[in-house]
Parts: sequence; structure tokens; C-alpha cells
Amino acid sequence: MTGLVLQQCVNALTIGAIYALIALGYTMVYGVMRLINFVHGEMFMLGAYVSLGLLLLAGHGAGGAGPLLVAGIMVLVFLIVGGAGVTIERVAYKPLRNSTRLAPMLSALGLSLALQAAVQLVCGPAPITFPSVLPSERLEFAGASMTLTQLGILVLAMLLMGGLQLFVGRSRLGVVVRAVSENARTAALLGINVDRAISLIFLLGPGLGALAGLLYASYYGVMTPTMGVVIGLKAFTAAILGGIGSIPGAMLGGLLLGALEVLGTSLLPIVTHGYLGTEYRDIFAFAALIVVLLFRPSGLLGEQVSEETMVYKSDY
Amino acid sequence: MNRLLVSVSIGLLCLAGTALCPAARADEVTVASAGPLSGPQAVFGVSWQNGMKLYFEQVNKAGGVAGHTFKLMQLDDKADPREGTLVAQKACEDDSVIALLGHFNSGVTLATLPIYTDCSMPVLEFGSNPRVTQQGFKNVFQVVANDYSQGKLPAAYIHDTLHLGTAAIVNDKQAFGQGVSEIFGKNFAEIGGKVLSTSFVNPSDVDFTALITQLKAQKPDVVYLGAVMPQLALFAKQMHEQGLNAKLFMPDGGYTDDFITQAGADAAEGGFATFQAPPYDSSPELTAFAADYKAEFHGEAGPYSAYGYIMGQIVVDGVKNKSATRAGLMDAFRSLDLKTMLGPIAFQSTGEIKNAPLFLYQVQKGKFVLVGHS
Repeated sequence: MTGLVLQQCVNALTIGAIYALIALGYTMVYGVMRLINFVHGEMFMLGAYVSLGLLLLAGHGAGGAGPLLVAGIMVLVFLIVGGAGVTIERVAYKPLRNSTRLAPMLSALGLSLALQAAVQLVCGPAPITFPSVLPSERLEFAGASMTLTQLGILVLAMLLMGGLQLFVGRSRLGVVVRAVSENARTAALLGINVDRAISLIFLLGPGLGALAGLLYASYYGVMTPTMGVVIGLKAFTAAILGGIGSIPGAMLGGLLLGALEVLGTSLLPIVTHGYLGTEYRDIFAFAALIVVLLFRPSGLLGEQVSEETMVYKSDY
Repeated sequence: MNRLLVSVSIGLLCLAGTALCPAARADEVTVASAGPLSGPQAVFGVSWQNGMKLYFEQVNKAGGVAGHTFKLMQLDDKADPREGTLVAQKACEDDSVIALLGHFNSGVTLATLPIYTDCSMPVLEFGSNPRVTQQGFKNVFQVVANDYSQGKLPAAYIHDTLHLGTAAIVNDKQAFGQGVSEIFGKNFAEIGGKVLSTSFVNPSDVDFTALITQLKAQKPDVVYLGAVMPQLALFAKQMHEQGLNAKLFMPDGGYTDDFITQAGADAAEGGFATFQAPPYDSSPELTAFAADYKAEFHGEAGPYSAYGYIMGQIVVDGVKNKSATRAGLMDAFRSLDLKTMLGPIAFQSTGEIKNAPLFLYQVQKGKFVLVGHS
């Protein structure tokens, strides 16, 4: 029994860590621009495709890449997809910054479809096998088992999130980002380059999303051009659950959503004596989300939204 | 001067048009085929339609049949019932379309059949759900063995050959996956096996670790997975990673090399899949077909390519025996008696295929090997 519980915890942490990494991208962009960046799921997908491209270039398309090479590829993928994110912001969002708030959202939706179609045209619509970049040996402990891939995902995700937290909380650039997120106009009056702060956000968010894509594809072993759609939606949910706009909130939301899903799968059939099967997992998770939002409309760690702050933010 | 030139050339074009085009087109008839040409199942849909294309091209090259040449209209239903009804409408409204080959997925066919009935379109159906032929539609003919045989063969094999007694069933709640796994469960229970649990997953799921952990606690001998690719491969991979040592049985969707590459050789090893066709190297005709396919499309024939080819044959045979109209083909299919490389093909009055063979394969040393048939 303890083995079972422990195993489910491992499962929940792995999928939750991936949700959290992607949720960070949604929440950071929202924090600064009040924009739901619907193209983020495609950044996640691009991360997987670009990684495989780089692995093929390095001659390890079938697996067996050394840890140094994998680390190098992770840095490159972060930069490439982050760069794509910055470009997207310049091309698709910046010209619309002074129009209604719906315009950039529609722009994001259109771009998301365009990117999916483009990858489908270039790489084909069929699922592509992704080599495992982390070793897949299995560790057994206390009746549960964990692959090194799962462990790697957990450790990497935690490191990345910790790094981001330090960067935003302690570094000078982090202060700039926080200032712009609090009130862009005042930040500009104080001599902060708002455009640069926004570019930085669009480098970090998509970059982290792309790394999540790499980890995800390596864990599940396949990637498809539409892989970002469902998982993007889940991560967006996680961001709302944790409080959109809040970075620790996104991490908490991701891990919590992973736990809720696993709980739904494992407990529902037992508790209801089979009336509600494992297929009700998502309904369970989303019902929990609704309950949380009923009591805390701004999410678990979200800022309390008052009338006053709403006026500031919507002004942007 | 310019205007004169333009009108002269338009006049010439018209002349050429009336003289040439109808002559070339009068005998060309259109056959529509609908299946997933994009999305995760595209690889099956495309290679299946390539089989049809290959046959029609061979017929056209030989000068056609009964004064007709054939054109294949390829429609993409994305394996989605909603998309399916749109393309069904399109095929119906095009008067040059004399028959519809498809859809590829049972769930899509079930949604579109009323549309085809309204426009009297003969449908050669490829999904294997038995409900397709049980709804009383007179215009649908199922070309493959339905899921009754697909659920039955593995149940008998597990009980009689492997001598195993317990099974856990997982399915994706789609018309095909749920249908075939329920038939499997019923057959398995009837011959004395025990079904420990039935679990459901969503068709877009990729993470099955939580479910597999629950299954592990039940210790089943066999897991029957009623789903399609790529879920089959993902499930096999995660089963292996968690050390769930049950034998995995899958319906026809798992019979593809993608299953082995995507799940990984270790995870795929020992997995079973049922399939409606014998291996391509089992008869000279099939070997020749696979070679022709490779020459034409520069890739190996897909698992359903042979079925695409014989579906083309059924249409051309119908045109030869009756006429190149929707009504003519409907008659022709009802009285069909055709020898093909997959055996003789004829339909029962319900539209179900008579004596459809089924084969059971197992992954051994990274390759599918034939281990049983019905």
C-alpha cells in the first residue's frame, strides 16, 4: 500500500513538474502584459522539434547523447525558442499594444494555428519517435519505482524554477521585470526600458516552455505537431489555479494539478465503487479548480484584485 | 491589336476546350475516399489511400475499364466525427462522385452514414465496429473483419495457448476502442477467464502512469488495450517503465513498426496485436503488391495499403459489371464476388463481409511475427 501511494506521488510529481514549467510562461507574460499568450503551447512543441533537430545534427538522433551534449543542447534550445518568442512578441503583439485587449489574443490564436500547420508541413503530421536524452534505468525503492528520466525531469524542473525565482527576486534585471509587471507606465517614467523588460519575459517564458517540451518528449518518447494543445490548456489551468501573474503560484498550480489528476485516476473508481471510472479524471481536476476559484477568485497565490488595481492594470 | 490577339486566343481556347476537354473527361469518374490525412493517425490514412491510388493508376494506365478512367478524390476527416460530416457533405454534393471509400474510423463512419444514405451514396466502409452494419443502412458495406472476430481471437489464444486466466481491460471510450475491448471481455469471460477491471482513458491522454500503478496492484496476467496509435505505444512504454509484467494485447492499430520504434524495442517486445491481413511476404501476390507500392511511393507499404488496393478493385469490378453510377455500384456491391490477394470478397445482406480472416502477431526480437489466425 505504501508502495502504491509512493508510486502515485512519483507519477504526480513528474507530470506536475512539467505542467509547472509550462505554466511559468503563461503567468510571466500575463503578469507583465495582461495577455494570455495562446501561442505558448506551440513554443513547448517547438522545443521538442528543435531539440530533435539538434540531436540529429549532433549525430545522436537515435539516443546515446552524453550529458555534456545534452546540457549544450538544452542551452541552445532555450536560446533558439526564446529567440522565436522574442520575435513573435515584436511581430505579433507589439504593433497591437495600443489596440483593444482582444486583438493580441486573436493574434496569438492565429499564430498558434500557423505554427502547428507549419511544423506539420515541414516535419509531417505523424508522431515522431524522440530518443531518451536521460538514461532510462529503473530505481526500485519501498515498493515503488522511478526511472532516471523521471528523476532527471524532477531535478531539472526544480533547478530551473529555483533559478528563475532567484533571477526575478534577486537580480537587477529581475527588479526591472517586477517593476514593469507592477505598473508599466510608472516604470517607464522612472527610466526603465519597458520594451527590453517585455523582450526578456518573452525570452524566459518560451525558453522554459521549450525545455519542458524537450523533457516531455524525452519522457514519453514521441512528439506530434499538436502536442502543445492539450498540455498547453492544462498548464494554463495550472497557472490560473496558482494565481495567474504569480511565479510561485504557477509552480504550485502545476504540481497541484498533477496531483489532482493522479488522485482522480487512482481514487475515483475505488471511492465510487466503479460508478465513476478513470475517465472522469479531468472532470475531477477541473471541478477542484472551480472550487478553488469560488473561494479565491485570484487563485491560490494570486494578488488580491481590488477595484483600484484593476484600473491600473487594464490601463496598460 | 492587343484586343484582337486576346479575342483570337480566347476563341482558340474555346475551340480547344470543346474539342479536347470533354473527350478526355467524359469517361473519367470520381471515387472519393475519406480518412485521416493529418493528425496522429495520418500515417495509416495516407498509406491506405495510396493503395487505392496505386490500383486506379494501374487501371488508368491500361486504358481504363468499360470506357471509364478513375480519379481518386482524397478527403481528410482528421479521424474526427465532426470533420467527417463536413467532408461527407462535400462528397455527396459532388455529382461526379460515384462511391465513397471510408471512413477509416468507425466513429466517423457512424456519424456520417445518415448523410450518405440521403444522397444514395454506396459506402465501402473500413472501420471495424459491428454497429456500422447493424443500423439498417442499405448503402454500407464493411470491407474488413469486424470487431467480433478481433475480440474473439485474442481471448481464445490467451485461454487455450497461453493458459492465462486474468485480464485487465483499458479502452479509450471511442466507438472502436470501447467496442472491441467489450467484445474481448465478453468472450474472455465466456471461456472461463476473469476480467479484473475495466478502465477508461481519454483519447488525447499521453500519461498513463497513474492508471498503470493501479493495474500493477491488481496483478493481471494480460492487459487488453482497446485504443489506437500513438496511445498504444505510449502505454506499452510506460507499462515497461513501471515494471507491469502483464502481456499486452492490442487490436489492429498496434500492428505497425511505429509501435516498436515509439514504445522502444524493450517495451514493445512480447506485445500482441491482431490484424486483418497476412504479412506482405506470405504470398507472391502480396510480395508483388508491396514491391509495386515501393516503386510508386518510395516507402514501405503501410499495414492497410493492401486493403486500399482491394477497395479500388471492388469499385472497378462494380463499374465493369453494372454501371459507373451510384445506383449501379450499390447493386454491384450487393452481388459482389471478387477474388483478391486477400482472398475472395463478398458481402452478407447486412453489408458485413463474408468469411473475413484475422491474424494474431507478436513482437519477437523487434519484429512482428505471425503466431495465430482464425
